[in-house]
Amino acid sequence: MSTQEDHSDDIALAGEYVLRLLDDVERRAFEARMANDAHLRDLVRDWESQLAPLADDIAPVTPPAAVKARLQTVLFPDAKPRRGKLWAWVSGGLVAASLVVGALLLGPLLDPDIGTAPTFVASVSAEDGSLVVLASFVAETNTLELSREAGAALPGRVLELWLIAEGAEAPVSLGVLPETPTTRIDVPQTLAGQMAGGALAISDEPPGGSPTGAPTGAVLAVGPITDA
Amino acid sequence: MRERTDIEDMIVQVGLGDRAAFSALYDATSAKLFGVCLRVLNNRAEAEDTLQDAFVKVWQKADRYSVNGNSPMTWLITLARNAAIDKLRARKAGSVDIDAVHDLSDGSPTPEGAAIAASERKRLMGCLDELEADRSDAVRRAYLDGDSYKELAERFDVPLNTMRTWLRRSLLKLKDCLSR
Repeated sequence: MSTQEDHSDDIALAGEYVLRLLDDVERRAFEARMANDAHLRDLVRDWESQLAPLADDIAPVTPPAAVKARLQTVLFPDAKPRRGKLWAWVSGGLVAASLVVGALLLGPLLDPDIGTAPTFVASVSAEDGSLVVLASFVAETNTLELSREAGAALPGRVLELWLIAEGAEAPVSLGVLPETPTTRIDVPQTLAGQMAGGALAISDEPPGGSPTGAPTGAVLAVGPITDA
Repeated sequence: MRERTDIEDMIVQVGLGDRAAFSALYDATSAKLFGVCLRVLNNRAEAEDTLQDAFVKVWQKADRYSVNGNSPMTWLITLARNAAIDKLRARKAGSVDIDAVHDLSDGSPTPEGAAIAASERKRLMGCLDELEADRSDAVRRAYLDGDSYKELAERFDVPLNTMRTWLRRSLLKLKDCLSR
């Protein structure tokens, strides 16, 4: 076989390899050669990049959030539970992408006429500002003051507030937000002790709140609970 | 959608063990890669498993990403496609054929497509058009649907060896054209 034919053969072989058309024996033989042959590796790389535009026509499809959660568990079993749970719960491309976390300018914005200084604060916000709820927790009285600065429930729907405690198995409902922009929630003692290091989130739910005890609608906003 | 360089940066960060970058990379690219897995596997549960496998490989191999010199989306798509075809072959090696489930897309095909230069696409399509219609169809089926030689031979109703000769010739013609 001439060098030219040899070369042609490798071009075709590399193409078959990239297309996954070789049988197992051929594929292993090719991979063994490739390990020691930069030219073969180049041929493979070129085919991969030259054929890749075929994938342009494949429409993206958002995978279910559970895939990312499982991936997280598989890859990072040592990760802090809170982070993992929070991530698992709110992940899912659109939701995750639209969330912003961070407590900004909270102190001055919160209702100043409350006598007791808050222990923790949170800005539960959607990134586009379509929903912003400022939260302030007073540990002495176990009360959570909420001020909805922007956004509202969709017609025929309600907003439900959740506590995602550090290391918790699942979010716990703190109740459905009223239509009024401000409200005060008495937090049960057991939950009050779980505020530190946790996060607050708001989901879209049917009237009366989630029927299941877990969020059933979209997670609209989330914010970490930080020291006031 | 993100620029190609953003995705490249994320892969490099992932290669350094950056979990936040991995999360961002997943958010930016998982829909496209899930689309690729669905296209090959035509089965949602299998595509979900495969997407997970593919991202495990992304995490494990990201530090070697720059070695082969492909664009970041090509690298990611190749990983996902290969994982999906492996899954497909493993399924077909078993006896039960799973009902195909066609998934409706929930996005337009354009955004990530922009990650691959339009000129490369134009060139490939032009070169595929220079092949006879059924031969270019065979290349597409192998790439997009993970068809094997056996399946291609059945589809085009030719002996397996003939199919292979056809396809290898098509690849050489394609390469000639792409190198022009």
